[in-house]
Amino acid sequence: MSNRKDKAWFALFTVPLLFIFTTVVIIPFIIGVVYSFVKWDGIPANPKVFVGLDNYVQLFQDDRFLSSAWHTVQFTLLALVCVNVLGLAFALLVTTKLRSRNAARTMFFMPNLIGGLILGYIWQFIFTDAFGFLGEKTGFGSVFFNWLLHPQFALYAIVAVFTWQLAGYTMIIYIAGIQGIPDELMEAAKVDGANLWQRLKGIVFPLLMPSFTICLFLTLSGAFKIYDVNLSLTKGGPSNATEMFAMNIFNEIFAYGNYGLGQAKAIIFFLIVAGLTLTQVIITKRKEVQM
Amino acid sequence: MKRVKKVLSVLTATALIATLAACGGTSDKDSGSASGSGGDKLKKITLFQSKVEITEPLEALVKTYKEETGNEVEVWGAAGDAYQQQLVAKLGSNQGPTIFSVAPGPESEKLKSYFSDLSGEEFVKNIAPDMELKVDDKTVGIPYGVEGFGLVYNKDLVDPANVKDLDSFTKTLEQLKADGKNGLSLSQEAYFLIAHIINTPFALQPDPLAYIDQLNKGEVKMADTKEFQEWAKFMDAIKANTKNPLEVKYDSQMGDFATEKTAMVHQGNWSYSMLADFGDFGSKVGMMPFPLAGNDKIAVGVASYWVVNNQADADEVKAANAFLNWLFTSDTGKKAIVDDFKFIPALTNIEAGDLDPLSQAVHEATTKGETITWALNYFPSGIVTNDLAPATQEFFMNPSMTGEQFLQKLDEVWAKASK
Amino acid sequence: MKKSGKWLLDILLFLAALVFLSPVFIMLINSFKTRAELYENALALPTSFSFEYYKSAMEKMNFFTALGNSLYVTIISVIIVIILASMTAWMLVRTDNKLSKVIFFTFVATMLIPFQTLMMPLMQVMDWIRTNLHIPMLNTHEGLIYMNVGFTSSMAVFLYHGFIKSVPIALEEAATLDGCSKLGVFWRIVFPLLKNISVTIAILNVIALWNDYLLPSLTLSDKGLRTIPLSTFYFFGEFTIVWNQAMAGLTLTIIPVVIFYIFAQKYIIKGIAAGAVK
Repeated sequence: MSNRKDKAWFALFTVPLLFIFTTVVIIPFIIGVVYSFVKWDGIPANPKVFVGLDNYVQLFQDDRFLSSAWHTVQFTLLALVCVNVLGLAFALLVTTKLRSRNAARTMFFMPNLIGGLILGYIWQFIFTDAFGFLGEKTGFGSVFFNWLLHPQFALYAIVAVFTWQLAGYTMIIYIAGIQGIPDELMEAAKVDGANLWQRLKGIVFPLLMPSFTICLFLTLSGAFKIYDVNLSLTKGGPSNATEMFAMNIFNEIFAYGNYGLGQAKAIIFFLIVAGLTLTQVIITKRKEVQM
Repeated sequence: MKRVKKVLSVLTATALIATLAACGGTSDKDSGSASGSGGDKLKKITLFQSKVEITEPLEALVKTYKEETGNEVEVWGAAGDAYQQQLVAKLGSNQGPTIFSVAPGPESEKLKSYFSDLSGEEFVKNIAPDMELKVDDKTVGIPYGVEGFGLVYNKDLVDPANVKDLDSFTKTLEQLKADGKNGLSLSQEAYFLIAHIINTPFALQPDPLAYIDQLNKGEVKMADTKEFQEWAKFMDAIKANTKNPLEVKYDSQMGDFATEKTAMVHQGNWSYSMLADFGDFGSKVGMMPFPLAGNDKIAVGVASYWVVNNQADADEVKAANAFLNWLFTSDTGKKAIVDDFKFIPALTNIEAGDLDPLSQAVHEATTKGETITWALNYFPSGIVTNDLAPATQEFFMNPSMTGEQFLQKLDEVWAKASK
Repeated sequence: MKKSGKWLLDILLFLAALVFLSPVFIMLINSFKTRAELYENALALPTSFSFEYYKSAMEKMNFFTALGNSLYVTIISVIIVIILASMTAWMLVRTDNKLSKVIFFTFVATMLIPFQTLMMPLMQVMDWIRTNLHIPMLNTHEGLIYMNVGFTSSMAVFLYHGFIKSVPIALEEAATLDGCSKLGVFWRIVFPLLKNISVTIAILNVIALWNDYLLPSLTLSDKGLRTIPLSTFYFFGEFTIVWNQAMAGLTLTIIPVVIFYIFAQKYIIKGIAAGAVK
């Protein structure tokens, strides 16, 4: 009896959201999987031909797709480190008793308020105009040049913009975590003579594990899926050096009109990323439990 | 108390379904009401098009249309580079517009099953020869207007007599470089970087479309074709003597041109509107042909066509034809095309208006028939931005890459993209 | 010595924040410039601070209608997702069985799907619902809200899931013994404890939805329904941007979220203070 009642409660609490979620995300995703076995140009009136696994075979021979995968991996690793180090540092700074903390907190978060595409355009100004100007004035021409024209630095440029945008985002999640740490614990450690680093390592970081899990996952999935900044900042250039997964898939679908192949790429992409990130979540979650 | 809370919570949990069910009535009514009112009034139609620049005059025009005829047209909008994708998504979910715009070539090939046959309509009779969009010998699209591109030059800095062939072209660039000017500027946008400039060797082939077809099948190579070989030398001259186009945006390209830092830009008549933001250039600018292999013609073509969606119901198609007819035959419509949209008309019954110098050049070339075609419209889908532009970026970034190697690279990426 | 060090740190922090914000500054100054001025120097101050571009941007965008539409869509979507996701996440945490694990990981996994691959099938599903069930999912604000809830739910569930674990279960058990139903326990005990993370989730979702362009652009066609990001399309040509109006439009777009953020942040800070007292 009680078991049945529990089930009813479970349903009442979860079904409304699950219903919406299924119609909006799951069903379209399944349809997408079906399309990945089809050769089709994406125009509803045009013929769809079932081709089995052809699309999957083809994508592994697509050098450009494979190199876009490599760019994405490079980008994601760099972004993961930058965003989280900076976000955590910001969070620690603005939860101190410094007087400028409130202003700083708002300002660090501001970049997040600017929507994807235009942000890339603003940064284009900075890399092309401002960097040239700074290079001339300061003499640091080796740092301040147009990053967007250099294959490796163009990638760093995307990392920089992505970090700029997301550091404030992770900051507020870290702040939420830091608030959960009891003040007494820190005070006690201080009394015991623990220095700042010891306090961080001994108390703050272990207690922040749930926030780490969340932030790492959010940056990981955000970085893997990056599209807006990629498009508006470099359009994948120079010479495709910064073309990421999402852009490659998007082009396959909308520019070349290979809908099925694009979907197949998306499925493979999804499987890889899901594998990686779920491993990450499981690892960090396990750490949480141990603490 | 507890019960109230419980009820409230259940209510909130199902609020969504309620909102959706409740709004069922409200939105259905606008589709219903229009068809109900019979008589002279035509059904309200929707119009979706890609040229953001004419959105405002277009909105003003449909207002006038309503005042004059009582019929309604709703103009939708999309940012320039998002149009194509939104159009496909909307057509795919049966919420397509009644009238929409398409580009010729692979894009219209892809969407052709949506075009209704306009052959019998009054307004298509005036389309200038070969300017209509045809599918299976039926006229399905009516051109926005014609546009043209070539070498846009500053008359104070360049004499067209000195840009007649590879030698004089190179010498002119070298001379300008010595004078501290940028001789010719391309810009980083894919079409302005490569598509327009590579159009010339394609257009100079005896049959450009057949050539593209052969190229797609791998039967010919650009590297083995005379015009392209010469074109590669032009590119070498450009690379050696001008500012790296990857550092130039369309905005700064025109800014440099307006402030006389640049003597020539490879651009079209549309660029005059941006030039006008920097001041009045009146008769100081002109357009001349890109002098490849003795070419003495500028490239003129149609970038977009209006088409009517055949998936719309018969009343809407009727209303759409009525609107297009009004647009292309009434005095108000014709005036708007020329004066407000600033198009060079592609219909014989429309007089060109007060044209800016660049449009004037295009218009004159068109009326004299001294034009070469826009072969780039028939390039494989997506190839310009995704394949040709990256190859060109490599050419301009890598100091040791020659025009010849560039041509081989283009052959290579073309083969990949068209397979 | 220590005091002056703190001062220095204070100033440094503020300067760092300023540098961090410089791109926003660039956006602001360029909203006052003509194309010629912008071409001269994108970093220089404008010659005049007239608000004409703001005025024309507002007129073109039909700003107040768009603002109303954006507010409606964003607020309703966020409220619904907060309510439904917190309930779902709580149940998933407190019910320790296979099913809830599978559900949770499905939510998490779908966060990795790039939206572009879902959009065409999504439009087809919504069209199917519209034609067969006669619920107007397309070209209505409510349909967009429905889809917004679907897309934001995974992240909200994921975040709640992480934080609900730190809510002491003892409190809930006590309340259950007192005769509270599950709903009562949730709303009276658990939800208030989730205030901080709820505000955080609200902030993140408000910003994401407020700035969203792609999904609204696919579902809203009528002019009268346009949200703020949709109505800025006038400034974005295929090859060039009307910079001053675009920047002005963008500034107008973010002002409401900045105000919202500052308020919401105060709320979080109050939360900290309250926690310190107990």
